[in-house]
Order: sequence, then C-alpha cells, then structure tokens
Amino acid sequence: MLRFATRPLSRRFRSGYRWVDERAGTTDLVHKGLYEAVPDRGAWAYTLGSATLVLIVLQFFTGIFLLLTYVPSFASAWDSLRFLQTSDRFGNWVRGMHLWSAYVLILVIGLHMLRTFLSASYKRPRELNWVSGGILFFLVLGLAITGAMLPMDNAGYWTTVVVTNIPHYLPFIGDAIRTLWRGGDFVGPITLTRTFAIHIWVLPFLLLALIGAHLYLLRRHGEFGAWVNYSTTTDDPDREIAERIRRAEPPYPTLRIERQYAAPRKTVGFFPNQLFKDTVVSIVLVAIIFVFGFIAGAPLDARADPATLTYVPSPEWFYLPLDQLLVLTPQTYLIAFGVFLLVGLGSLALILLPFYDRSPARRPLSRPEVLVPGLFLAFMVVILAVLGVNRLYGL
Amino acid sequence: MLAASLTAVPGNLFGNGLAVALVVLLHVQIATFITGASTLAVVSESIAMARNDPRHARLSHDLVKASAYVFTFGSAVAIFFMIWVLTALWGLFFVDLQRITFYMFVFEAAAFVVEIALLYSVYANWGRLEAYRRARLGLLVLLAVVLWFQMFFINVVASYMLTPNGGDVNQLSQVLNPTFLPLQLHRTVGNIAWAGAVLAFYAGLRYLLATRRARREAAVGTVPARSVGAMSASRFAPGSPPPAARDSRLPYWDWLGQWGVLWAVGLSLFQIWIGYSYAKEVQLHAFPAWFRMMRGALSNVFLVQIFLLGMIFILGTLYFWRRMTASGARGTRTQIVCLVIIVLATLLAIQPAWFALSLPDVQAAHLDRPWWDGGLLNPIGDFIPNKVFALVVIMLCGLVAITSYLRAYSRGEVRMGETTRRLQGVLLALGVTVSLMMATMGVIRENSRQPFLIHGELRLQHQQIVTTPPQAPP
Ligand code: HEM
Repeated sequence: MLRFATRPLSRRFRSGYRWVDERAGTTDLVHKGLYEAVPDRGAWAYTLGSATLVLIVLQFFTGIFLLLTYVPSFASAWDSLRFLQTSDRFGNWVRGMHLWSAYVLILVIGLHMLRTFLSASYKRPRELNWVSGGILFFLVLGLAITGAMLPMDNAGYWTTVVVTNIPHYLPFIGDAIRTLWRGGDFVGPITLTRTFAIHIWVLPFLLLALIGAHLYLLRRHGEFGAWVNYSTTTDDPDREIAERIRRAEPPYPTLRIERQYAAPRKTVGFFPNQLFKDTVVSIVLVAIIFVFGFIAGAPLDARADPATLTYVPSPEWFYLPLDQLLVLTPQTYLIAFGVFLLVGLGSLALILLPFYDRSPARRPLSRPEVLVPGLFLAFMVVILAVLGVNRLYGL
Repeated sequence: MLAASLTAVPGNLFGNGLAVALVVLLHVQIATFITGASTLAVVSESIAMARNDPRHARLSHDLVKASAYVFTFGSAVAIFFMIWVLTALWGLFFVDLQRITFYMFVFEAAAFVVEIALLYSVYANWGRLEAYRRARLGLLVLLAVVLWFQMFFINVVASYMLTPNGGDVNQLSQVLNPTFLPLQLHRTVGNIAWAGAVLAFYAGLRYLLATRRARREAAVGTVPARSVGAMSASRFAPGSPPPAARDSRLPYWDWLGQWGVLWAVGLSLFQIWIGYSYAKEVQLHAFPAWFRMMRGALSNVFLVQIFLLGMIFILGTLYFWRRMTASGARGTRTQIVCLVIIVLATLLAIQPAWFALSLPDVQAAHLDRPWWDGGLLNPIGDFIPNKVFALVVIMLCGLVAITSYLRAYSRGEVRMGETTRRLQGVLLALGVTVSLMMATMGVIRENSRQPFLIHGELRLQHQQIVTTPPQAPP
C-alpha cells in the first residue's frame, strides 16, 4: 500500500534529479566532495576545522536575521535592538545565538590552530593552509570586535571610541586612518555606518574568499592529520614507505616531500567516517549555542551616552589577554611598544611560522624549538586572561 | 581579672612575630613541596604509562613516598602552628580571622581529611595497585586536585588579609579579592617549580654521594681516576659487583637532576610576570603595603629577591651550558650568549634606586637628586623602565636557553650519565636559591601589611579592630 502511494512520487523525483544531474553533474560533485581519503588515526582532532566552518555558517545565518531588524544609524541602532529584545518573539534568542556562536567560534578556531600547530600540519607542502588560516583567524577577531561596536549601547559606544583610536598611535599614517574610520575627528554617525559596512561586507567577503582558498588547499594536499599516521611498523621502513606511497590514494602523495610524511599508513573515507565525527561535534556545539542563546541571550546596555563619567568600559573577554598586557606595560611605552611592536611582530611571527620552522620533524617532542615558545605563548595568553578577569571583577 | 588574663596575649610582639615567621617559613617549604610533587607525580606516572619509561615509573613512586614522609612531619608542624602559634600567641587576631573566613577554614580542614586518605592509600598500596595503573593514576590526579584546592582555600585567606576588598561581608568578594587569582596562579606555578628544584637538589646530592664513594675507593685502588667512567670502572676491582650494576644509578641521578632544573627554571619564566601582575594589584588595592614593599622599608629586601630570581636563571643556564658541553652537544654557544646576557640583566636589575633604607628617608634628608648631583638617588635602578627591561630580557633569554637545551636533548645529543661532579654543585645551589627566594618572598609579603594584620582593618599592635577607614591611595 505504502509502496504504491510513494512510488510515483519517488519516480518523479528520480527523473527530476536525473535531468539536473545530466546538466549540472551533481552526482560527480557529491562524489568528489564526499569520497576523499583521510588519515585513520586522530579523527576527533580533525573535526575542529569543520566545526569552525559550521559556526561561521551559523553566524551568517543568524546575522541575516538580525539584519532584518537592525537599523545601522547612530540614532536608531539602539532602538531597533531594543525592539528586537522586547517585541520580537525570537529576536532575543537569535541575537543571543549570534553572540554565543561568536564566542564558541573564537574558542574553536583557537583549538583548531593549536591542533594544527601541535601536529605540524603547516609544514611543506601545506604552508599556505597555515597562512590562509592565520589570516582567517585575524579576520574572525576583526569581525568580533566590529560586531561589538554595532549596538550603540554604552558598551558598544565606548568600544568604538577605544578601538577606533588605536590607529592613532601608529606613526605617520595613524591619524589619517583614524579620521577615515571615524569619518571625522570624533566618533559619530559616520563611524557607525563605516563600521557596519566593514562588519557586514568587507570582512565577510574576505572571510569567504579565504575560506574557499583554505578548503581548496586542503583538498589539494589532503588532510595531513598527525604524526601518529606516519610511523613505520616493519623492520624495513624504507620498503614500507615506498609501498605506502605506491598504493596511496590521491591526493597522497602530492608533492615530492619527505617520504615518510608523504602518505599516511592507513586512510578511511571522509564519508562516512570523518563526516560522522564532524557532524557529532558540530551538533553538540550548535546545541550549546542554542541553549546559551536562549538562556543567556545577548546583553544590551543603556543607550550610548557620550557624556557619561561613571561608565567603566571593559573589553570583550577575548581581548582580555591583550588588555591585561597593556595594563602591565609601563605607561611610557604603552601603545607604541605594547600594541604595535609586540602584538604586530607576534602576529607576523605566527602567520609566517611555516617559513622558519622547516625541519622535517613532526612529533611535538622532536620539535622543542617551536613547541616550547609556542606553549609559553599559549599559557601566557590563558594566564593573562585569568588575571584580566580578576582585575575586571575588582573594578 | 579573669577577663583581663584571657584577653592578654602572652609574650611580646617581636617574639610572637618571630615565632610565626619561623614556623610559617618551615611550613611553606613543606606544603609547597607536597603540592608541587603531587602534580609532578601525575606527570611522571602518565609518561611512565604512555611510554613505558622506567625512570618516570621510579620517580612517580619516589615522589609519593617522599610526600608521605614529608607530610607526616609537615602536618605536625601545621598543627603546632595552628594550635600553639596562632591560637595561643595570636588568639585575638586569629579568632577574628576565623570568623570572617569561616568557610574557607572548614573546606580547608575537609580537604586535609581527603588528602590524608588519598595520600596514605596510594602510598601503602602502591605495589598492589601496580595491576591497576589507570586507577592508581586516577588516585594521583585526585590527590593533586585536592591539594590544589587546599591551596585555593588558604590562598583566599592569605590574599584577603592583604586586600580585603569588603570580603568580610561578601563571601564572593572574599574569594575574588583583587590579589586572590594572582596569588593562586603564582603559587600553582611556584609549587611545581619548587618541587622541581627539590628534585634537582636531591639528584645532585645523590650523584655526589654515589661518586664520592667511588672516588674514595678509586684512591685506594690502583687505577687513577680520570673521569666518572674511569672512576666507576676502577671501583670494580675483581670481586666487586659488575660495572653495569654500579653505573646504572648515575644516569638516573643525572636524568633526574636535569628534569628538576627544567621544571624549576621553565616555570619561573611565568613567575616573572605573574609576580609583576600581583604587585600591580597590590599597588591598586593596598597602596600603603605596595609602598612599603617597593619604596619603603622593604625596598632593599626586594632587591635581594630580584637577585635571587636572576640567580635562578643564571644557575639554570649555567647548568644547561655545562651539561651540554659535558656531552659534546651542539648549541652551547647559544647558552653562553644567554648566560652572559642574563648576568648583565641581573646586574642591571639589582641596582638600588636609592642609597638609603627607603625613598622617604631620602626625601626627608632632601637628597632626592641623582648621585652625580650629590644626591642619593640612582636612576639606573629605576623600576620603570630599567628593571622591567632587565626582567623581560631575563625571561626571553631563559626561554631561549631552555628551548636550546631541549632541542639538543630531543636530538639525543645529551646522553644521560655524562655529567660532572661540579655540575651537581650547580644543582645544589639552585635548590638553595629557590628555597631562599621563597623565604624572602614570604618575608616581604607578610611584612608589607604592617602595621596591619588584615589590611586597613586589623592592626598588629594589640590585635585591635581599628575604626578608621582604610587609607586611600594618594
Ligand atoms: C575560518 C576559519 C577556518 C576554517 C573554516 C577552517 C577549516 C578547516 C578545515 C575544514 C580543515 C580540515 C579539517 C581539519 O584538519 O580540521 C582545515 C585544516 C587546516 N587548517 Fe583550517 N580553518 C580555519 C582556520 C584556520 C586557522 C586559524 C589556522 C591556523 C593558523 C588553520 C590551519 C589549518 C591547517 C594547517 C590545516 C591542515 C590540517 C592538516 O592537513 O592536518 N585553519 N581547516
């Protein structure tokens, strides 16, 4: 009975699909997308990249909904969000998800970075994966900070004042950049319009383009995974590796690199093995964001008051390490040294990592020359954040 | 009459203060070692399980044994401290403190019960648990967590006394008082560094003892001793145990020594700026205490502390350099450069900023001019920027030195057992330096509050409650 009822429909679907497939090659595309060799061991650690991707998609999704209500004007931005909070049935929830998703995204992208750092995935031939990823990281941070400026409540307004002032400390061109961003000497209506454009168009455009490049590079070289997939188990490692390379599925081995790391010992299909794990992690994260968005929502301070003397601005938590570093930096050298030299050089060193760490070693314990400074930096960021939390509570 | 005798505190302020100081200094060295050792035991046990490394297996067992022995003595000191020193000599203050931080002391006591149960269970059943290594590791992790919380609760009390921040009325403010988290971080890191320094000291001592015996016997024997290898070979004249059995212990002590140095020096890298943040919070929230510490009567003691800090890195780098040389590893030039820079930076950092007991003394004498203008100030010793610069340089060079040593180690260029007796002296010196440093910090911290016991609230004299509001920073 059931078969009878559904058959014509499914048949109709099938013929419709065939029509599209003949013209667009969808089956081929799906095959290309899903059937890809991925290293067998350590798969849970490789879910972080796709989780980042899913969270970015969620940001676009919730962001579009926010755009349906938000008014990017100095006079009405706050009112439009107030309306969203109080009179829109799901408005508060969606806004909460946009915020919490951003928070989780920053954490997950940090973990993704840490994992590719530990596994030395950035080494030849995947240097550009790292470089594009590093720029993506800073783009995400840029999105987060410009987003924090948009509500035009006290928190947003003072964040705008502080952040748009930072370029001023840059020698020679600093003031010009500040004036350009602010649309004058002071924060005003044009500042919001420009920040809005940056948040909605400039950064997302760059983000999408770079994600495309990042994923293209990933498919071109294949997932490196981690060193655990490359150890040899027989008495004759040379023969074992030669055999491995001979039987490797594309894209392994891609270029002529150190033979040991050219092809993993064993691979599994991206579909269903890796995709299943990716999905589990993403679903858990999205569920957390749904719940936090619902329970905690997103805060909206009092309407921006440029004349206030009592408001104590505090940075977003992900800028706390930087903020704390500035607190610890003696006043005289505050911005010029603290921000531009230390942070600028540090960021550059991070992005250029694959170009100076070129040893063939991939095991973390065999590369103390990058692991020790890297972990020192990571601990420093965490400890600075903790110290920053402490200071904010004491304010 | 009875009331008067009950409220009067026996002894005098100086004697009672000295009693607290001595017992606390002893207590601190013991408690921090046990707390740090619990973390190192977890690390070693994990490595032993993951990589099947007998050295780490032995070390984790040794750490548990040492903790059990030391705890037996340490808890006696703690009880003596609580009952006799605090309750009898500082009763008025201590009752007030107990009232305010009541819950912290309750949790602290509870943590002690759990600690005793865990520590002695693991200690007494180590062999039996060999078949259940994961469970044993689990117990070790629990022990480390409990010890960490024990420190947490007592740190709330200790930091509250320096920056009360209204913590007597609000429990959350008591816990999150401005210096709590910096202190907690400082001690979490410091405990492990101290445990590492103790390991280095102990390993150095055992190495010296083992080779001394060999050397003495070599002097009696016929073969002249040229090196450690020659020494130990000469010990085994016909009839002694085979050389292999004898030699197998020296590589272990050598390995343990460098393992300890790595923790002690590596974690001290963080202490530089965690300590700096800590001082910053004191400056913001207990200005008079900060003033005493940095510009007042304690400012010269602070110089001693900076000297000891520099010494930790000097000794550490010296050790890395000579140890690498002893094995003929590559990269010793990096170590020499780091050592020279650290020595220079330490020399800069220990410059006094005034040639007097304190800055107010200089100002009172109207001599607040640079020495080249006939005054008593020494601008070379200014904290900002000179000392900050020196500290950053020390930190960076320390990082490079450790990285360079580990690089040589990971490439198998530093072979265990190829050390020298002189290097063990460096290990001993490092242990003593870290211990002195802890004592100096304790003295500074506890004295900076004077004349208060609880900053701004409870005075040292007569242990009375004062009614004047706390001093605001100028
Ligand atoms: C918008 C942000 C990002 C997205 C959407 C993204 C996405 C991905 C995905 C899906 C993978 C493959 C799965 C995996 O290994 O996790 C990947 C791999 C990789 N990513 Fe990212 N990523 C982002 C940011 C970053 C950042 C910040 C870095 C580092 C600076 C980075 C460096 C890498 C590297 C080196 C690989 C290759 C890993 C390997 O082959 O083992 N990515 N990325």
